[in-house]
Amino acid sequence: MSPILKIIIAANLIVLTILVFVYPQLMVSPGKLIPGHIQLETDCFACHASFRGVDSERCISCHKPAEIGRLMTTGQPITKLKPLTPFHQQLIKQDCIACHSDHAGVKRISLHGHFKHDLLKIETRGQCQNCHKPPTDSLHQKIDGNCSQCHTPEHWVPTNFDHKTFFVLEGDHNTRCVTCHVRNDYSRYTCYGCHEHTQDNIRHEHIEEGIRNFDNCVECHRSGSEHDIRDGDGKRNGEEDD
Amino acid sequence: MTSLWRQHILPFSLLLGLLAVGTIAGDYLLHRLNLVWVGRYLGIPGTILIIVSLIYSLRKRKYISSGQPKSLLIFHEFSAWLGSLLVLIHAGIHFNAILPWLATTAMGVNVVSGLVGKLLLDRARRHVQGEREQFQLNGLSRTAVEHAVFWDAVTLDAMTQWRKVHIPIFIVFVVLALGHIISIFLFWGWS
Repeated sequence: MSPILKIIIAANLIVLTILVFVYPQLMVSPGKLIPGHIQLETDCFACHASFRGVDSERCISCHKPAEIGRLMTTGQPITKLKPLTPFHQQLIKQDCIACHSDHAGVKRISLHGHFKHDLLKIETRGQCQNCHKPPTDSLHQKIDGNCSQCHTPEHWVPTNFDHKTFFVLEGDHNTRCVTCHVRNDYSRYTCYGCHEHTQDNIRHEHIEEGIRNFDNCVECHRSGSEHDIRDGDGKRNGEEDD
Repeated sequence: MTSLWRQHILPFSLLLGLLAVGTIAGDYLLHRLNLVWVGRYLGIPGTILIIVSLIYSLRKRKYISSGQPKSLLIFHEFSAWLGSLLVLIHAGIHFNAILPWLATTAMGVNVVSGLVGKLLLDRARRHVQGEREQFQLNGLSRTAVEHAVFWDAVTLDAMTQWRKVHIPIFIVFVVLALGHIISIFLFWGWS
């Protein structure tokens, strides 16, 4: 390699090195910061600790957990609450990077970016409605709390719950959940919550047919239709094994 | 002409084309399978493969004495090509910081210059030499021969420059890649 070429290469690399230190936001930053952090663009170590990545302590020096969701870093109150209730006060530890990423390029490829419900204190985890707006469909309007019986913290939707697999809600049975699920406890049900089915008349009708085991109604009745009655194996009456 | 196409230009285009197609396909698959985060880490095996490919360079310059140069050259070509593919997928089609993109560009130039050296240069040199000999046999003067092969000679000269670029651009690539790696270690949280 000729000495002139070596000098040209060295000079170029020195210029690039200088540019890295003068314009880190252009040379090494993985994309723009969020608008609120724009003034930190040239000061990488405002958020990053050397060889350790983003340091939550540095975030907290501006964003005080007690004030997050209530006051802005300027001290002014937040008027538009999103989510409905401040929850950073309910976190078991301050691990900002577990949910937040700032550079546009990192956001795109980040594994993070989704709130981890595990970071909430145990007593707060069940209070979904504090942050989530309850669905307004007819099924959810009848339900009060106990979201976790159908939904998981990892995926709110889709839920694989389908009431038809247990019992078809049609006709008189399309009623309020608490009629069958007392105290909104969806792990249990009763068929004696309405005037139609009393323990005495159900007992009488089944004994008359020679049926003595009638504690678990949905084992044979998957709908209100008297023609849709199954045996203990879930087969409709009249159905035969292949 | 058929031989020139089959033995030199086709493999050159194929290896370069495969690199481009492999990059786009890899990036597409990572996006499709929701595994974009994997691309972030492909820079590591890519860099290791490129470093390992340098065994041939050490052998060629007699820093080490063991190993068949021909086998090491094949390994150098394969390992550097595959390493470059992984680094290109790692880069993705995302333009953020300038430094890693300069490093990626330097790596691309390095790959092309390596392929030119491997597949085109030797053949072109023999082609121009053959032309010169043919014209001399036909009784053309030295000046007339040089005039007749002028554009071929210029092309050959340009290709020789590509070959000469291989080592300097590699040094540029190493320094830029090192800058990118240091910045990642400095700012990234690995936990």
